[in-house]
Amino acid sequence: MNNRRATIITVLVTLFFGVFFLYPVFGILKVAFSGDDGFTWDYFFTVFGNPNYLEGLWNAFTLGIVSTLVTFLIALPLALASYRWVFPGKVWLSVLILAPLVLPPFVGAVGVKHILGVQGALNAFLIDFGIMSETSPTDWLGKNKFWGVVMMNALHLYPILFMNVIAALNKLDPAMEQAAQNLGASPWKRFRKITVPLCMPGIFAGAAIVFIWSFTELGVPLVFDYTVVAPVQIYNGIKDLSDNPTPYALVSVMLIISLLVFAVSKLLLGENNLGSSTRPKARYMQKTLIGFKGWLISGIFLLVFLIAAVPHFGVIFLSVSGDWYGTILPDDMTLSHYGDGLGHPVVVGSIKNSLIYSLGATFLNVVLGLAIAWVIVRSTIRGRTLIDGLMMLPLAVPGLVLAFGYRALSEGSFSWLVNSAGDPIFLLILAYAMRRLPFVVRAAVAGLEQSDPVLEEAAMTLGASPRRTFMRIGLPLIGSSLAAGAILAFAFAMLEVSDSLILAQQAEHFPITKAIYSLLSMLGNGHEVAAALGVWAMAFLAVAIIGAYVLLGRKGGGVFRL
Amino acid sequence: MDAIRVDRLRKSYGKDAVALKNVTLSVGEGELFFLLGASGCGKTTLLRTIAGLDKPDSGSVYFGDRNVTDVPTHKREAAMMFQSYALWPHMTVGENVAFGLEERGVDGDELVDRTLEALKGVRLEGYEDRKIDQLSGGQQQRVALARALVVRPKCLLLDEPLSNLDAQLRVEMREEIRRIVKENGLTAVYVTHDQEEALSVADKIAVINKGRVAQVGTPEEIYREPQSRYVASFMGEVNFLSGKVAWVVKETDEGYVVRVITNAGEIMEGKVTELGWKPQVGESVVAALRPEVVRFDESGDVINQIQGEIIQHVYQGATIQYLMKSEDGIYLQVAVMNPGKLRKAGDKVTVIAKQQDVVILRP
Repeated sequence: MNNRRATIITVLVTLFFGVFFLYPVFGILKVAFSGDDGFTWDYFFTVFGNPNYLEGLWNAFTLGIVSTLVTFLIALPLALASYRWVFPGKVWLSVLILAPLVLPPFVGAVGVKHILGVQGALNAFLIDFGIMSETSPTDWLGKNKFWGVVMMNALHLYPILFMNVIAALNKLDPAMEQAAQNLGASPWKRFRKITVPLCMPGIFAGAAIVFIWSFTELGVPLVFDYTVVAPVQIYNGIKDLSDNPTPYALVSVMLIISLLVFAVSKLLLGENNLGSSTRPKARYMQKTLIGFKGWLISGIFLLVFLIAAVPHFGVIFLSVSGDWYGTILPDDMTLSHYGDGLGHPVVVGSIKNSLIYSLGATFLNVVLGLAIAWVIVRSTIRGRTLIDGLMMLPLAVPGLVLAFGYRALSEGSFSWLVNSAGDPIFLLILAYAMRRLPFVVRAAVAGLEQSDPVLEEAAMTLGASPRRTFMRIGLPLIGSSLAAGAILAFAFAMLEVSDSLILAQQAEHFPITKAIYSLLSMLGNGHEVAAALGVWAMAFLAVAIIGAYVLLGRKGGGVFRL
Repeated sequence: MDAIRVDRLRKSYGKDAVALKNVTLSVGEGELFFLLGASGCGKTTLLRTIAGLDKPDSGSVYFGDRNVTDVPTHKREAAMMFQSYALWPHMTVGENVAFGLEERGVDGDELVDRTLEALKGVRLEGYEDRKIDQLSGGQQQRVALARALVVRPKCLLLDEPLSNLDAQLRVEMREEIRRIVKENGLTAVYVTHDQEEALSVADKIAVINKGRVAQVGTPEEIYREPQSRYVASFMGEVNFLSGKVAWVVKETDEGYVVRVITNAGEIMEGKVTELGWKPQVGESVVAALRPEVVRFDESGDVINQIQGEIIQHVYQGATIQYLMKSEDGIYLQVAVMNPGKLRKAGDKVTVIAKQQDVVILRP
């Protein structure tokens, strides 16, 4: 009976997934690889024959690699320090360093432009102190667009790697390290021979996500005018979509690279459970650092937060500045941009739109995620590990690719998703939902795995029907995990860039991110109003993420552990 | 009328893992019935099948004369107490206990009264507002029991209810469970791997071995007259002497008694317990005798007499456990109550057992 229900759910979800995820993706591949006489490599080779595209791809690839490395350099030491030691203010600092998650990186990039630009705060500071000549200020970003994007990516993505590593470490049975210690291994050797190898799958899974995100990042290069990079080329190529298969081929190349990286991280390192038990018998005994050492670690955490928060401060200052040009801080402060924003039709509509799209997507995710998680954890049908793997696929497929696929189909087989008024609401809800499904599935699976099925059986032997059992026992027990997954899915949907930029065409359907992007090109106080809108989004998401963190407690990283 | 009857139950997990092989059993009304066996023998699967949590591949389960094989768990009125207790951590003690009543539509004063009464019944008055994690293991166990009892189930199913308690509490609680079951006139099926627990509180025991019922009987029957080598050794320590039937001593309705010459030459005489088995002269058998039926005696009777020397002894307070080696090299356990004289390693001894204490089994 159980398995029949599981089979029905599996078939339905797989169908849904097939139509709204696999179909658009394969649609891209189909256009990219089919010519007049069936299959062809022509367009694929055209991409590699075009020096412009080749350079764009190479730039995107190196952006991905370098961003991942820099992210590593930031996240790994922080995670290890947080795992091993207790230091002053640890609880608050651990939350603070997650701050970058609340701001879409391209909005942060706007703030950074006002700090690092030719007439930005940094130059003003240097000129004031006579370090730089007023007549020939350095154009920091103009010269180093590549590094600017790397910095924005790393500062945005390190929390994901941080949480991944923490979760991997927490899963590690402390007895593994203690056994090595007992046999006389030095701390460094223990770390190299025991800790790192055992955490490798977790670390690599996180790194793969970071790579894919930065490899396909669209917003930041757009804001920094870094145009010779594949995602931007694709974005610009959408304009002449109809008769040119080359953008499709370019998207396919990005998709294949992303899938390869994801597959390598999964297959090579596998889903191994070496040295971990689901519930380690002993908690790792953290060492309390007192005095100078403790404050030193706290200082490092604070420093990382302050650097990571530079874009945030930039955006906040920009949102209240009357005039910020060639000075360290804005010359006069004003709240008028917030007022202007609320009076601006695009802004008000975009908040409403984003809420509708994101709530819709989150609802869809919770329903789908819960059903799939139930099949994966509670049923015994064959192929459920396959479903598990399938549901992680959206992480390997860049948002840009999916958005592109939806865009292409919106004029064809998905046209029924866009209503007669051209409102892409269903298109966006589905696109948002598909990409965030893995987070909710992970959260629900984690919740279900931690709740013993015996608890549900007990209710049934006492006369509760399966439905009542689920409502009174199953759901309350996994509620906090599920809520946390949903909050994260919601937050990321609100921050979504690729789908929003590509799928929302008319101003009245813009979500927040696209509204911000369009305000940037508005003359007058466009940047400032965009920043004000960014601050709203930031405040909103901070509340959401802190909520998720509190609900999940120490398991927080589990949602990102993929 | 039997309260519970299972008929030719079969259940397998996958191809090779067979949990139940054709199990047929009856539990009488008001009986405290034990399913006893080693881990992995299928006893928990059998209990879960009775509860409706596992579905048999074939065979039927009856409650009274009602076939409940296809009745879902929540409509069976068979309350189960789980090994892990399965208390819900998001509810208080009172909410846990009241759950089953609520599901049956009981509310208002009756709900409160019956919940409190159930808690009182397990001596947990005043604990209704506690959180589950504020209770000790013994208290949790009693909450689980109250939760199962409060709904006045047709039958109570207990899955190793005491395995998470320490030794002393275990002894106390098994008496307590028996008292409660008897006071409420319940039919209960109790799963355990602890033969002492089964012997001390069961009305009836079914010994399960590899998915089959090895033997059903009262504790005394199971212990004193095991029908197979497996049951004999599972129920406690036992000495086995291999040999061949030399003479059929008695063949009546009350029993089949044979004389056996062991491989070492001793003459053993005992009762054949396996139903319908009448070993003939020359057939290979084993004589089984428990350490406590063997006593030191040099009176000279050659039947059921073994000679040898003491190898070592283990002092256990009330008894001394000797290990002796017979002249032809067979090791035997001998338990002596209230020992007057301590025998040392190397002492030559002669031991003897009564005919009615020796059981002849298939080798």
